[in-house]
Amino acid sequence: MKELEKTKNISIAAVITILLVIIALLAYKKPKHLYAINTKQALKQIVENPPIQLNNYNPKTAILIDIRNQYEYEKGHIENAINIHSSDILDDANSIFFKKLKEDNKSIVLYGNEPSEAISASMILHQLGYSNVKILAVNNSLNQDKLITTPVEIEKKGENINQFIKASIKKVNELSDVQIKPKPIKVIPKKVIPIKKKKKMPTEGGC
Amino acid sequence: MKTKKLIAPRYLFLSAILIILAGGLVLIPKFEKHEGISPELLLSNAISPERYISTDELADRYISRDPTILLIDVRDESSFNENTLPNSVNIPLNKLLDENFDAYLNQTAYDVILFSNDSFKANQAWILCNRLGYKNLHVLKGGINEWFSTIINPKEPTENMPKTAFELYSFRKAASMYFGVMYEDQLKIAVPKKTKTTPKLVIPIKKKKKIPTEGGC
Repeated sequence: MKELEKTKNISIAAVITILLVIIALLAYKKPKHLYAINTKQALKQIVENPPIQLNNYNPKTAILIDIRNQYEYEKGHIENAINIHSSDILDDANSIFFKKLKEDNKSIVLYGNEPSEAISASMILHQLGYSNVKILAVNNSLNQDKLITTPVEIEKKGENINQFIKASIKKVNELSDVQIKPKPIKVIPKKVIPIKKKKKMPTEGGC
Repeated sequence: MKTKKLIAPRYLFLSAILIILAGGLVLIPKFEKHEGISPELLLSNAISPERYISTDELADRYISRDPTILLIDVRDESSFNENTLPNSVNIPLNKLLDENFDAYLNQTAYDVILFSNDSFKANQAWILCNRLGYKNLHVLKGGINEWFSTIINPKEPTENMPKTAFELYSFRKAASMYFGVMYEDQLKIAVPKKTKTTPKLVIPIKKKKKIPTEGGC
């Protein structure tokens, strides 16, 4: 009699666990979008893929996408561009569209009012596995309801700040008879955050 | 013997379920690359302009000696050595995810401000770090070029501009002086005017002659 009760308990427990597993499996939602690459691979890709210039863009192998909002797009856009606002790039319809472009071996060229506007959309698509996404290096502005597109150099080196400061001091010193010594800028010591190196612990055998 | 026969198939059944479930582990490597926050959340973070800090705000924090800011230059080493913002640390973009720099990026004590020549590389670095869930990261809007044209070499407003433009200019000019730029109109202040000094009346004081102490007794 006792043995029979024991087996009864076991079977009840088994049924409950199976039910739990089934419920968990049903409740589990597969995420719609999964990253295809990790951050290190993404970093490598963005370093290797600088934005392309307008004259390197080939309409036969690439599709232009305007990531600005609908109103800006309707005011004026580059010829043959399709409007997909950057907040809508993960929509179902657009995902299907991007997948199709990838299968057709066409590259996706994004542009906004300025190149850094297109970064968010392009980097997310990159990390989702669309390695055919590129940014167009152009600035767009409206002039009398006409879109003006000017090519732009990204990360252009500007004027040297230190040289400018030195030149301004020199200029003032030349003008004055009295040599004014520039006030030395108090240099705040650099912050150094100590990097704790993780000590490798010898693996201790369990049990 | 009888009981053994009764239990055995159940155990077999249970162990079979366990084996099937263990088979599910094969699926895990597919999710391994899914590190960091979800793409949907990353997108909504990335399109919000919240991360930007303006050059004026940064200048203000410099001048008030804000100890909580930490500036990170994401350009390469040669441009960093040539010309950078004061007190910044160099983490080239291609080495961003090195373990050595983790302590700078993944912390909550400082407001980290990323910058490059314009905001392109800094934005890329920000998005990668945001995916990893790093907090307190900001991007300097316009980068060093904007810093130069607004703070170091501000444009003088024309007369038809509103009052606020003049106020902004005077702030920027003062800020540029703080960073070492000198202006011609500073000369007036710097050169002390020669004032006529009235000769001081000198009243001769007769000094008491010290009388050598005469020894008593």
